[in-house]
Amino acid sequence: MENRIKQVMAAVFEVDVSEIDDNSSPDTIDQWDSLKHMNLILALEEEFEVRFDDEDIMNMITFESIFSILKNKMEKNKET
Amino acid sequence: MKYTELLKANKEIQHTLHGNEYKIVVLANIIVSPIKEILEYTLRVQGIKAYVKFGDYDNIVQDSKIFKDSNLIIIFWELSNIIDGLQYKANLFDEVEVESLISKVKSEIDFVISNFKETSLVLINKFSSLIFNYQNLKQNNFDSIAKELNRHLEQKTSLNIILIDIDKVIAKISVEKSVDLRYYYSSKALYTIEFFKEYSYFIKPIILSSNGKSKKALIFDCDNTLWKGILGEDGYDGIEMSNKTRDGIIFEEVQSIALDLSKKGILIGICSKNNPKDVDELIDNHPDMKIKEENIAIKKVNWNDKVANLKAIAKELNIGIDSMVFIDDTDFEVNYIKKYLPQVTVLQVPSKLYEYPRVLRENLGILYNISESDEDLKRIQMYKEQRQRESLKNNFETLEDYLKSLDLKLNIFVNDNELIPRIAQMTQKTNQFNLTTKRYTEIDIKHFIESDDWKVFAFDVEDRFGKYGVTGFAGVKINMNEQKAEIDTFLMSCRVIGRNIEFAFFDFIISYLNNLHISSIYGEYIKTLKNEQVKEFYESLGFKTIFNSDDRKNYELKVADYKPKNLAYIRVQYGK
Repeated sequence: MENRIKQVMAAVFEVDVSEIDDNSSPDTIDQWDSLKHMNLILALEEEFEVRFDDEDIMNMITFESIFSILKNKMEKNKET
Repeated sequence: MKYTELLKANKEIQHTLHGNEYKIVVLANIIVSPIKEILEYTLRVQGIKAYVKFGDYDNIVQDSKIFKDSNLIIIFWELSNIIDGLQYKANLFDEVEVESLISKVKSEIDFVISNFKETSLVLINKFSSLIFNYQNLKQNNFDSIAKELNRHLEQKTSLNIILIDIDKVIAKISVEKSVDLRYYYSSKALYTIEFFKEYSYFIKPIILSSNGKSKKALIFDCDNTLWKGILGEDGYDGIEMSNKTRDGIIFEEVQSIALDLSKKGILIGICSKNNPKDVDELIDNHPDMKIKEENIAIKKVNWNDKVANLKAIAKELNIGIDSMVFIDDTDFEVNYIKKYLPQVTVLQVPSKLYEYPRVLRENLGILYNISESDEDLKRIQMYKEQRQRESLKNNFETLEDYLKSLDLKLNIFVNDNELIPRIAQMTQKTNQFNLTTKRYTEIDIKHFIESDDWKVFAFDVEDRFGKYGVTGFAGVKINMNEQKAEIDTFLMSCRVIGRNIEFAFFDFIISYLNNLHISSIYGEYIKTLKNEQVKEFYESLGFKTIFNSDDRKNYELKVADYKPKNLAYIRVQYGK
């Protein structure tokens, strides 16, 4: 899953996958502005067949937070 | 294809494309950023080197002054954000407030449209109240504002402006899948990825057509494709193609669709394994047959294989194999063509017959013709005369003897307003005899004709078999002070190739420019996949090469050095 997230982030921000690490955030990736953030959310939702709510979206601003929120979400989905 | 995959593929494909960039600017009063890569990719896979840029957020009016020189402008003028929250505010407005808002937006529309009057192509989405109002039985203010603004837009459309009915896009995928309200209230982003995919697909035919990439011919098999049944077995009276029978009605509809297309300039052909006499008799005499001989540009009815027949059709119609759409009912023929002629677009008659007309309609976009002209209506007749000429050609010893026998007449027109639609169409459609392959819309050509810095030359041709119509165009930029001229475009329709008309046309252009005291003429050849045949055209006229690279050559000619060809067998007339 980590790798798939990185693939999505790399495609949206138009950078190489190797440039994405745990600490990647709008501070380390120039292209990560509010518009690209929206595209990132849409791309992740499509890739993982989930839907984030407002609060998640605001918090998903590092690779780490994206990973943990997504993981949480997918586990919940499995239970239901 | 998933959005992430599309983003990657879009990046990769951009390096494989050649030719001129196709610059698209999207102006919007909402956030539509995902459309960039989606639209780029939709066009790039069709060979169009598309680049999408955005104007500033909610600056449609201001930006209409800035982006005039793009190839294409797309305007997302979202009704609910004309003023913030119009979808709820409008319904609390009194009549005066509604009127004053409408009149404000109307004047903004007028301003924007007038700023873009010389832009090649502008797509404006119609105003839509659908996504906020689809559940309402009664029309409210929000609906009436949309209606009134659309009425105004419709009155304002001109040659270069096309209105896009986005309700049709929304209808295809549903309101629910078109919008994502999570981002609407916080970020003014309204539409989903799925909407942008469908929207790009919806407008694609317009862009393909203005880039010369529409299909030109629709070729039908006969048995169980134009009629129900097998002519050779069920016989003249046994086949069905009228509303008198349950299945016949489907084929009546299909034939009517084809008939309508033939009247819009699409070449309708037949490619069928049958006895030619049987099919001819049916076409000539059967009362239920909608498509008549005069609607059919070409018929290949024989027992040869269909790959050979389709190749022959392309050759005789002088169109690319990739310009054909072929429809057949059998798996065997469909797979055979797909395998051995993959450039042909192949459609199969669905096994559920009631789906057939819908499948046909869904695929008609690839035949979209952005500028229909009078020439379209005459085209079928012209292709028929062409075949008579071909059969005459075989009786002559030399090409020159043959050309002499044709009694060719060339009428040349300079800056003729009446020819604008046809000239624009030729720039969009001509791929083979086209030195620079620059695509222009009607508004571009009008602009050239009105400008002092351009001369627009066009010709029509006739011979003893009939008229070819307007089939050649040269656009020349003039610099009177420096006595220089630059040939921006020089093209001829493929149906007049091989008659040395280009030389007679060129003689005329040179003598015309000479009268304007032009002393040097510059020409250019831009290589494409299809214009190999003209790569040495300027050399053959005596031009000197001044620049030469893999995909482009530039030339110069001193008018004083030009040796006219003075072809005695082509009579040249200036004007009507």
